[in-house]
Parts: sequence; structure tokens; C-alpha cells
Amino acid sequence: MTRIISRRSLIGTLVSSGLLAGCGRLDNAPPANALLQLSDKLTLRAQRLLLSQRPLVRELKAADISAHFPTNGTVLPAGDVYQRLLESNFKDWKLKVHGLVERPLALSLDELRAMPSRTQITMHNCDEGWSAIGQWTGVQLGRLLSLAGPRLNARYVVFHCLDTQEADGVPYYESIDLVDAVHPQTILAYGMNGAPLPVGHGAPLRLRVELQIGYKNAKYVDRIELVDRLTAIGKGRGGWWEDFDRAPWYAGQ
Amino acid sequence: MNAKNTVAPAARQTMYRHPWPVRLWHWWNALAVTFLLITGLLIFNIHPRLYWGEDGHAGMAAVASLSATSLDKKAPRFELQLGSLHWDVSRWMGAIDDEGNDVYVMFAAMPSDFQFGATRMWHFAWAWTLALSWLAYALYLLVGRRFASVLRPTRGDLSWRNVGHEIMEHLRLRRARGAAARRYNVLQKITYLLVLFILIPAIVLSGLTMSNTVTAAFPDLFTLFGGRQSARTVHFIAASLMVLFVVVHVVQVLVAGFVNSVESMITGRYTVPPEESI
Repeated sequence: MTRIISRRSLIGTLVSSGLLAGCGRLDNAPPANALLQLSDKLTLRAQRLLLSQRPLVRELKAADISAHFPTNGTVLPAGDVYQRLLESNFKDWKLKVHGLVERPLALSLDELRAMPSRTQITMHNCDEGWSAIGQWTGVQLGRLLSLAGPRLNARYVVFHCLDTQEADGVPYYESIDLVDAVHPQTILAYGMNGAPLPVGHGAPLRLRVELQIGYKNAKYVDRIELVDRLTAIGKGRGGWWEDFDRAPWYAGQ
Repeated sequence: MNAKNTVAPAARQTMYRHPWPVRLWHWWNALAVTFLLITGLLIFNIHPRLYWGEDGHAGMAAVASLSATSLDKKAPRFELQLGSLHWDVSRWMGAIDDEGNDVYVMFAAMPSDFQFGATRMWHFAWAWTLALSWLAYALYLLVGRRFASVLRPTRGDLSWRNVGHEIMEHLRLRRARGAAARRYNVLQKITYLLVLFILIPAIVLSGLTMSNTVTAAFPDLFTLFGGRQSARTVHFIAASLMVLFVVVHVVQVLVAGFVNSVESMITGRYTVPPEESI
């Protein structure tokens, strides 16, 4: 997370004086917090209304693929565990699906590759403002979930990742609800641009949730947990950026 | 304009100029635009590069950009690029962090507790207020006939003579008086119409085109703007035009009489500047 590190260590002159810095602190005041939550709820409701016909995100042509797709956030997870996985080409790694499911799963990369796959060329939009187009190949998350059989009280899908955040030493985590989880273009990608998923883009497996913005697309996914509420995850907002940076949880904006 | 009446009126003439929906919307919108411009600038600050087309990221050709040409902590250099033009702007723009990291910020580095995610949340919250209050106001103008009676330029307004006259009056920063001060002049009408029905819709639509979900439902938005990054660039240009409008608007308020104008936008009552006696 180069961005957050540098941002943290910066000293403000312009912004620290009153109004502007309020963006970072005001939101902790109860009325402001209520306003932000109202705005978020309005966005979620309005966008779910737009999705009522279950449209697909636009898919592009092979010629549109960006020549150089930037890597952002972690580009190589630190630590021995990931290093060993990488050296063995993820041979002994297994994706775990657990939590509120009838049949917990543990699937190797080969087993995932043997499942029916989906390939899509889509645009990745970072909250910083840039966009890049890539081709992703993987297993539909909905398919995996139906294998595992979510319990009736399961509402959210949490992604626990192999990369640890430098800022606080906590492994990356993200979450989406079941509505976005079963969208046909929500896939767990093991391939990018026709090749195995590169380390910089989240090998062995990353989430592509095309309805949402960059940081929701967790890289280095290690296990998937189904839960009934997000309050028990991290600091309770449902994701690392949400907890650390007060980023919106629902990021379809 | 020739002054016809050389006798100063005994009492000052006032008129009820701004009905309450106009006043409410004016201040509410002023607040929303202020917060949107500030949060928008802070969001832009983290990636001050504009592209044209679908994709755009560091390493790709930019329409306009601010970048660091030297990260020397003591004397960092910054360059502003517009098309094929380059300017060294080290004296006015750009900042890097203590570690000398490759950080392009426009004016100053961020405070340690600056939250980018929260800034975006605020931007979206104010975007809702802008869009919803614009919708209500547009309905009020069109259904409530204010558009027809106050904003629509008349045939007389649009005569070359009148337009030329108004341009000269504006260039000379002359205050409208008497009958002319009781109504909006043609330049004012056109400006308000452009802001209301071109600029704000352009800002809202180009903003929505940056949304994954909205464009899933309305992919034609991409066609309208020529791509997601084009929409982001249009969003920036439209926001800049909004800044230009605010500056000109405030200058006009000063020309028209600051206290009188602000008072009329609060109470609704406007004191008509009397015709100048010769």
C-alpha cells in the first residue's frame, strides 16, 4: 500500500487548516456519520434499483486490453508463507470456503481450473481515478457458493487474503453481499490476459467484482468466509480500506 | 442609458425579487458546490492526470497532467503538461512527502490523518444533495412558470442591439439601475440557463459515467462521453467552468451592490438602485 504509507507520513499545510481536514475527522461526529450513512444507503438502494434487470457490466474487445495494466497496493506479499507457496507454484495451496455453509470446501488451483470457467474483458477502475482494461479468467463465485451451500442466515461473503498491510500488519480483507456475489461477472480469477494470474495482480487467486470499484477486487484471496453480519470482521466496516480509510463499503459509485 | 427622471425618489424603491424556493436552492446549492469542489479537488489531487478515451493510467499519454521531474527533497521540480506543451510550475504547484516518494499533489501534502476514502464518501453525499435539489429546482422553474416569466430571454433581449449594449455595460462594470435592475439582463439569463441546464447536468452525468453500476445499467453513457476517462476529464472541465461561474457571479454581485444583493437572496426583498441623476 504505497499510497497509504506516503499519505500517512505526509504533513499538511493547506488542508490541515480547518474545513478541508474536516473531511477526515468530521465523519466521526454523530450527525456527520449519520449523513454519510444515509448517503451510502441511498447509493446502495438506488444502484440496486438500477440492477433490478440484472445487467452485465460492459465487456470489451481483445484490442481494447491495456498494454500495461498498473499494479496497485501489494505487489508481492511479504513473509515466508507466501514465498513458499510461490516457490511451489501454489501446488499445496487450497482455497478454503467456510463459515455459514453446509459443505465447507478446500479446492486446489487445479481443481478450480477444472471447473467451468468464465473469461471477461472488463475495465478496472481505481478509486484514485485511473482505469485499465484487462482480460480475466476464473470461476464464477456463485458456482462455488452453490457447491458449498450457503446457510439461510448467510448474507455476506468475506475474502481473507494472503497479503499483510504494511500500515498495520493486518491481512487484507474485503466483503460483498450475496447479491453481488452471485452476479455472473463476479469471478475468482486465476488467469489474466491469457496467462496465469501474475503475482503483482494477486496470484494465485483474486476477486473480480465488476460492479464495484478497485479496492473491492481483493487480490491474493486465501479463504472465503460466509457470515451473517460484518461487525465481527476487522473493525466492523467490512473491509480493510473501509476500516482504515473510511472508504465506502458499497463501492458501485 | 439616458436618465429621464432627475428627481430623486423620496423613498427607496424595493421589490420582492426572489421567492423562497429560489433563495433556499441558491444557498443549499452554494453549500453543495463548495463542498463538491473541495472534495473533488482532493480526489483529483491523488491522480492529477487527465486522459481521453476509455482507459488511462500512469504511463499512458495524458491530455493534461502534473508530474514530478525531480524528487529531490530540498528542491523538488514539478511540470504541468497540456497536450504537447510543458511548463515548469515548481514555484506554484506540487509537493512531495518527507520520504521523497513519488507523490504528485497539487499544492501541499496531506495531513497525517487525511482519509481519502472518507473524502470520497463526502463527495458522494454532497453529490446526492446537488442532484436531488437540482431536480426539485428544475421542476419548480418549469412547472411553476418562473422559467417562462423570469429566465427565458425575450425577443427584445436577444436583439443584437440589446446584446451589444449589455456586453458593453458588463465590460464597464456598470450597475444596472431603475427598470433595468428589476429584471435579469440577457447575459444573466443566458448564463443561468447554461449553468442550470448544461453545466450541472454535464457534471452529474459525467460523474455517473464513472460508476461501474450506473454504466452497467446505462452503457450509453460511455458513448455519450466517449469513454470513462473522457467522462472524468469532462467532469474536471465542467467543475472548472463552475469555478469560473462562481468567480464571475461574485464579481457581478459586487458590481450590483454586495449588501443589497446578498440581502435580497436572504429576505427576498431587493432595493432597486435609482436611475442616476445627471
